[in-house]
Amino acid sequence: MSSHESTMTASQRLQLFVRSSPARMAVIISALLFVITVAINPRSFNMNAFSSILLLTLLLSFASAGQTMVLIGGGLDFTVGAVMSSAAILTTYVMNGQDGKFMLVFVLAMAMGAAVGLLNGFCAVKIELPPMIVTMAISNVVTRMQYVLTQGKPGGFAAPSFVRSVIGKLGGIESLGIKGFIPSLTLYALVLFPLVFFLLNRSRFGKQLYLMGNNPTAAQLAGIKVNKIRVLMYVFSGLLSAFAGMVGAAYMGTARCQIFDEYAFSSLVAVIVGGTAFSGGIGNYAGSIAGALLMVVLSNGLTVLALSQPIRNIVQGVVMVLLLVMYNRARAVRL
Amino acid sequence: MSKIGIQRAFARLRRTPAFAGFTLFMAVLILNIIVQGPKAFFSARNINTLFSKNMPLLLTTMAMAPLLISGVLDISIGIQLALVNVVSIMVMQEWGVSLWVGFALAIAASLAVSALGWLTVSVLRLPAMLATYSLIYIVRGINVLIMSNPQGKVPDAFYKTYDSLIFGVIPVSALLLVFVFLGWTFLMRTKLGRNLYAVGGNPRNAFAAGINPVWVQFQAWMIKGFITALAGISLTLMTASGNPLQAEAYGMRSLSACIIGGLGFGGWGSMSCAVFGAGFLVLIQSAVYYVFDLLYRLIPGFTVTSYWQNLVSDIIIFLGLLMTIVTAKGQREALKQGFVKQFKGGENLVKS
Repeated sequence: MSSHESTMTASQRLQLFVRSSPARMAVIISALLFVITVAINPRSFNMNAFSSILLLTLLLSFASAGQTMVLIGGGLDFTVGAVMSSAAILTTYVMNGQDGKFMLVFVLAMAMGAAVGLLNGFCAVKIELPPMIVTMAISNVVTRMQYVLTQGKPGGFAAPSFVRSVIGKLGGIESLGIKGFIPSLTLYALVLFPLVFFLLNRSRFGKQLYLMGNNPTAAQLAGIKVNKIRVLMYVFSGLLSAFAGMVGAAYMGTARCQIFDEYAFSSLVAVIVGGTAFSGGIGNYAGSIAGALLMVVLSNGLTVLALSQPIRNIVQGVVMVLLLVMYNRARAVRL
Repeated sequence: MSKIGIQRAFARLRRTPAFAGFTLFMAVLILNIIVQGPKAFFSARNINTLFSKNMPLLLTTMAMAPLLISGVLDISIGIQLALVNVVSIMVMQEWGVSLWVGFALAIAASLAVSALGWLTVSVLRLPAMLATYSLIYIVRGINVLIMSNPQGKVPDAFYKTYDSLIFGVIPVSALLLVFVFLGWTFLMRTKLGRNLYAVGGNPRNAFAAGINPVWVQFQAWMIKGFITALAGISLTLMTASGNPLQAEAYGMRSLSACIIGGLGFGGWGSMSCAVFGAGFLVLIQSAVYYVFDLLYRLIPGFTVTSYWQNLVSDIIIFLGLLMTIVTAKGQREALKQGFVKQFKGGENLVKS
């Protein structure tokens, strides 16, 4: 291996490092980006920026949880954004600014997420459509449904107590006059992260998911009910996206149609940056969280630099291409 | 004797890749004729509207076809129409030159963006779907840099000509389609045609047979760039104004149209597939509109918003996608393999 390494060029060595520890790499890049941002604009180093980065990272990592599972299982879920938007709209409409409706909203949102996930899974399995196409088409239908149900108007508000439970600040010591900077969304994460880790790493479902992603035929021959696992992973993805949408509604306060549609792609990029392979069977959730951090720090940096919107768009696109170059190049035809 | 001839022709048609798309297209065509009535449907005005309003989608789908045949795709094709639109308008407006100069430069811009797509997808070998999705951001940024907000106006003579009929029967806009189709048919008779299918089918085998896949795909991207420019020009003539952020959805819609029409990924399908697929989408949209119109008249007090129409047509597109899989079973495996390739970089993905 060492003799092999000595013959490698710098870019190859970088690629090897990125591949061997994508999560660490993502954290390193985020730290670098953050330092650069602060160096350019020192005023951007404050508690508010810190807590907003933390909050957005958690939100994106919630959204990426389902995507991670689906990618590990060898599928792809483009409905994440549409389900999140729908859940957000559902939340604000049903709560309408009143406390005490959390459970009702939770049940409704979960049911909606599960239904969309079931449809995704069913189409991906029974009709054997390619997952990208089927989930994109379903995501379009879900989005249209939002417009039909809301008539395209934003309406309702998230309940104040729910909003506080998401954007409220923890960690402050009042007697010392230190203001809290940890968003209380972290408490949700304390429940959700272990749950996802358990599902992926400790449960039977997780083991079977990795096997199936690695080699569906082998998994089938080993007696795993491949179709069941596949439907299940889409359902989990729907549930997790719906939950992320609810939390997102509390963060935003109010919701309009397509509010979180960008998350379909940003969650996908976060998951890839976190080292989950498209080919399935490889990856973990910790990587996706690191990837989410990278995405949020990047967009924070672009905001701090006060670049105009078009330049931000171009930089975002170029950075995504660069990330793809690092993580996802196919081998040359000529060997 | 002629009956046997028809049967043979039908049997031949059944074997072509375009059969699934053709069937769906004929079904919605008949549906349209029934809903609107033959006289209203075949009126010169209706045909003209159908062509002029939907030419951007038809051409975008046709632009996507060469890419799919050679085994890649470009989801950012929609926002590229807006690029062509803003370049042609701004060149005319800012430099005070004729719109023709604007069109010429817009074609150049479209080819340049296609070259960028070729660079990322074919040269750098990134998964096409994701790389071109990133391109959407880049092109969107460029569009807004060129034109910050919707503005501009196309001279009357241009869009009036575009919206008119030759001899009172043939829509001018349809000439674009005929031009592209004939051009493509000619190209398919050259070596390039075979190379495209060979590279799409299996780049490795094509390379072994002495074809340079990257170069052949470059040609496919350039053809796509040119047809995209035509689509953007027809969009400019249709809307008669400039908007940097329009038409993004055309990317996904043209891709769906290709799949519905029966194009698979890499080496399967033809330009007719693209035309039938796009025709299906266009006619479904119109059928849904007229069915709702009929419901308004039949059921007093029946009122729904246009959101319902959008929902119904998207559901039908979804069902159309499901149906192609039923109608073209043989195509399914190839399609699946191809899609996997678009996303995962195929079997060639370097695993850690």
